[in-house]
Amino acid sequence: MSAVAPAAAMPAPLPAAERSSGLPLVVLLLLPIALVNAFGFLAPVFNLLRMSFYESQATGAMVEVYTFATWASVLRDSFYAELILNSILVSLGITLMTLVCSYPIALYLHRSSGTWRTILLVLVISPLLTSAVVRTYGWVAILSENGLVNNALGAIGIAPLKLMFNKTGVVIGLTEILMPYMILALLAGFGRLDPRVEEAASTLGAPPWKVFRHIVVPLTMPGIALGSLLCFVLAVSSFITPKLLGGGRVFLLATEIYDQAIVTLNWPLAATLSILVLVIFGGALVLYTRALRAIM
Amino acid sequence: MTSRTDAPEGFLSIRSLTKRYGDFVAVDNLDLEVPKGELVAFLGPSGCGKTTSLRMIAGLVPATSGRIVVGGGDLTEVATHRRDMGLVFQSYALFPHMSVARNVAFGLEMRKVDKGEIAKRVKEAIALVHLTGKEEHRPAQLSGGQQQRVALARALVIRPSILLLDEPLSNLDAKLRDEMRNEIRDIQKRLGITAIFVTHDQVEALTMCDKVVVMNQGRLEQLGTPVELYETPKTAFVASFVGRSNRLTAVARNGAAEFAGQRIAAPAGLEGPVQVMIRPHRLGLSPASPAAADPARQQVTGTVARAIFAGDILQYDVDVGGQIVSVELATRGGESVIEPGRPVTLSWRPQDIFIYGAAA
Repeated sequence: MSAVAPAAAMPAPLPAAERSSGLPLVVLLLLPIALVNAFGFLAPVFNLLRMSFYESQATGAMVEVYTFATWASVLRDSFYAELILNSILVSLGITLMTLVCSYPIALYLHRSSGTWRTILLVLVISPLLTSAVVRTYGWVAILSENGLVNNALGAIGIAPLKLMFNKTGVVIGLTEILMPYMILALLAGFGRLDPRVEEAASTLGAPPWKVFRHIVVPLTMPGIALGSLLCFVLAVSSFITPKLLGGGRVFLLATEIYDQAIVTLNWPLAATLSILVLVIFGGALVLYTRALRAIM
Repeated sequence: MTSRTDAPEGFLSIRSLTKRYGDFVAVDNLDLEVPKGELVAFLGPSGCGKTTSLRMIAGLVPATSGRIVVGGGDLTEVATHRRDMGLVFQSYALFPHMSVARNVAFGLEMRKVDKGEIAKRVKEAIALVHLTGKEEHRPAQLSGGQQQRVALARALVIRPSILLLDEPLSNLDAKLRDEMRNEIRDIQKRLGITAIFVTHDQVEALTMCDKVVVMNQGRLEQLGTPVELYETPKTAFVASFVGRSNRLTAVARNGAAEFAGQRIAAPAGLEGPVQVMIRPHRLGLSPASPAAADPARQQVTGTVARAIFAGDILQYDVDVGGQIVSVELATRGGESVIEPGRPVTLSWRPQDIFIYGAAA
């Protein structure tokens, strides 16, 4: 709104009038979501933060006395450092696997058209219609000792593989569960891809894999960044699948928070770990925005 | 069909090139010989197969049948990236994530040319298209004309065997188009590069190119120099597509075409309905006095339906037996406009009228 003000006679140009009446309208429109966020998100997070400074007793009781004891023990204990590192690494692994499995599908979807595209898109989204719990049990049926894979391997005389109650199971299960999100995020970020640009590269002497490496991958980076952020966040915070497919032997932040809150009843510790998860998310977001700025 | 089988083998040789999509024939049995260093236009309306032909030459679309031979080597089955052709797209198709210099360097990097040589050739190519100083800009920071220059530099820097231009000027505004037209022609001549120029704009085809291939519905209608196409169009389509023409219908009988009871000489062998084409500015117009006729000119009479004075030309629409004929006369000053309703005589030199069978 930087219209040059008319020099003479007519004062009070319209833009100014619009602005003075427009500002409260914006506030009014933002108010509902601001309130929901304040009561539904900020307040609980603040509560969580406060709880992380309470004192916990061996009995499981929580005393409303402020202390740094929980934070100090978490930051000092190498178990938690390993837990955090482990969570981040497993989630990064899952994100990478999801990206590798989803990228070709997303690329194919991006290039298809008409009814075929619609059918494929529905197929991609349809797993989201079933809850992650049901899909995780599906993976149990496939990966367990007497599951589909090991029965098939047994039939051809190969010793059973340990596919469950370890990281392998968690990675396989979460990869499949997160794929729809990754594919949709990739598709949303494929806007800069242009078949003419790829053709230009090939007329300039680039064989197909070089077109992919020098043109397709860089142009789809926004989608890759968005999908990776989304899947990393979902992987770090996922709980059901690591719980069921990890069988208590894969230690991740989300499962540890559950155990501390429900089993051990150490709420201050659970709260501390939850805040750490939020910090990790914050870090991921910073990396994402940096990455985006570097790409564009 | 006007395939020049008698012509000497060209640098680019297209033989019976055909592209079918199911039942639809996009390019039908195209034969063409392009000598080294010539700029040849593929001219035609949209959907005539000119772009498909170009894309087959580049290897972006596989040919259904036929051969594409360059400098004696058959490229029909060769992959695009090994064809060594420079293609300039209508939409520029620059790499948006690379600087101007990187865009131009791309083809050389793919050829593993050494670094120093790349830097030198990129610099030359950018200077050639007058973009020195813009090396580090991203395509999005450039105007349409500048982007098209980058695309041109990028295609030329690899020293392609053939330069292919797919409607390169269509996205530019009129002033820039004229400028780029001259520039492309200058560069093409200076480098002596063989080039194919696809366009639907007859002005571009006539003014820039050594030869023009007029295409219609997948077939080659006529191949010739701009002058040949304009002065001796072989089909009604060429006569109407290249330059402007009055398109009239008549009935041919015994070596004469007849409309509204007036007869003019027609080529032997034509019988029944025919199309008569004549260009508006090749017609003469005089107040009705057939007696004063020049025996070297053919003529018909009609009535002025409309007279428009447009400064440099005086345009008349003349009603000849129910058909409207446009006449354009260059103004010289001092002429008086003939009022609508007055009888007039139209005349022309016999070589300026074209008569085709109605089926053509």
